[in-house]
Amino acid sequence: MKTRNAFQYEEQFVQFIREQKERFYLLAYSYTKNEQDALDVVQDSIQKAMLSLDRLENVDYMKSWFYKIVVRTAIDFLRKHKRLQVTDDDTLHYLTPAQEDSYEDVDLEYALDTLPQMYREVVILHYFEDLKLADVASILDIKLSTAKSRLYKALQLLKIQLQDVKGEITHG
Amino acid sequence: MDKKLKDLEQTYHNIPIPQELDEVVERALKQNRQKKKRRTPQWLIGSAAAALLFTASLNVSPAMARTLADIPVVGSVVKVLTWTEYELAEDTYDATIKVPAIENLTNPALANALNEKYRTEGKALYDEFVAEIGDLKKNGVEAHLGVDSGYEIKTDNEQILSIGRYVVNTAGSSSTTIQYDTIDKQQEILITLPMLFKDDHYLTTISENIKEQMRAQMADAEQGKIYWLDEETMPGESFTAIRADQPFYISEQGKLIISFDKYEVAPGYMGVVEFEIPTDILQNDLVSATYIH
Repeated sequence: MKTRNAFQYEEQFVQFIREQKERFYLLAYSYTKNEQDALDVVQDSIQKAMLSLDRLENVDYMKSWFYKIVVRTAIDFLRKHKRLQVTDDDTLHYLTPAQEDSYEDVDLEYALDTLPQMYREVVILHYFEDLKLADVASILDIKLSTAKSRLYKALQLLKIQLQDVKGEITHG
Repeated sequence: MDKKLKDLEQTYHNIPIPQELDEVVERALKQNRQKKKRRTPQWLIGSAAAALLFTASLNVSPAMARTLADIPVVGSVVKVLTWTEYELAEDTYDATIKVPAIENLTNPALANALNEKYRTEGKALYDEFVAEIGDLKKNGVEAHLGVDSGYEIKTDNEQILSIGRYVVNTAGSSSTTIQYDTIDKQQEILITLPMLFKDDHYLTTISENIKEQMRAQMADAEQGKIYWLDEETMPGESFTAIRADQPFYISEQGKLIISFDKYEVAPGYMGVVEFEIPTDILQNDLVSATYIH
């Protein structure tokens, strides 16, 4: 029974991975902030997934199931390597190139990057990866209500930050 | 969606995708497929578990071992067991070392000597491996290293038990060595190569025969076999004669088999090579026809 599942889903899984690999990479990158580490996370995730493909009950869950693996692998990776980013605002400002033209882009990126991981992952999964909040909650192993409140808080933070950014631009 | 969020999403998707991604993904997919094919069939896990339990109870309970030895059928089957297994699996390091143990010999000195040898060598192999990867890690060298050691029973009949222990070292390419121990189950003695023969003349007889066999095999080009026989192709490395303690075993049919490690007399792709020595050419050298006939 178990092995049948695995073989049945393998083709679909391979296709799914090939089609969506850029998305997984970006998700991994949002945690690792580093090209090589993100590639490692993607590779580990695929390997883990293929080994436990027989535990996937329904092929419809493949997407959120695999995102869960990527998220966990990425978090494990950060924990193992303790490479959490501890960059304060001043340093970031200092490192940001002082070019008027690219200001907006840099600050947008900065806005997402400075968002604490627990808020950032909700935003990415829900808005950028088009996952239902219930799925996001299950991927992150949190309650639906927690996911909702984190998303709300994230939007609040982003709004404030983005407004601040605009203020800076007009003033500066 | 909010305009800001749209912009955010845009920046998120603008992060450059490295070219290696394709390769990394394909490699991960392929690696797993190979792994899956090699996966042990379910029934084998079941019987391996049963065997393990069996071994464990034999090791734990001498009473049970004795009881089993008394039952004629089981007694004649239970001869070589896996005593210990060392396992180590890290990202790029892999070790599986199975240490055999010979049970039910009534000559305790022989059994102990062999089992002690197996255990010491198994442990040494493992310790060496751990030390080696410790060194690599300390120096920050990333390397793929593996060792796989185990045993196979070549012959187990009324008279003879021949057990071969192999070690495969993998570090880029792999090398394989194999050692044999052959026991006379009735006399309960360990058989060595020299004791089978009247004098040293067997070294020449066997070596000449092996050379003949090598030449004959190489003459048949279709088989694609190559041995280092010619002093011109492998100066200083070519095969001249067997050692007095050359690995050997006695086959089920009572034939003498001489074994060479990988790379010993042939290129790596030939692996471990064996030669069966025809009994009739050994007649003048053999002490008796008890073992080899």
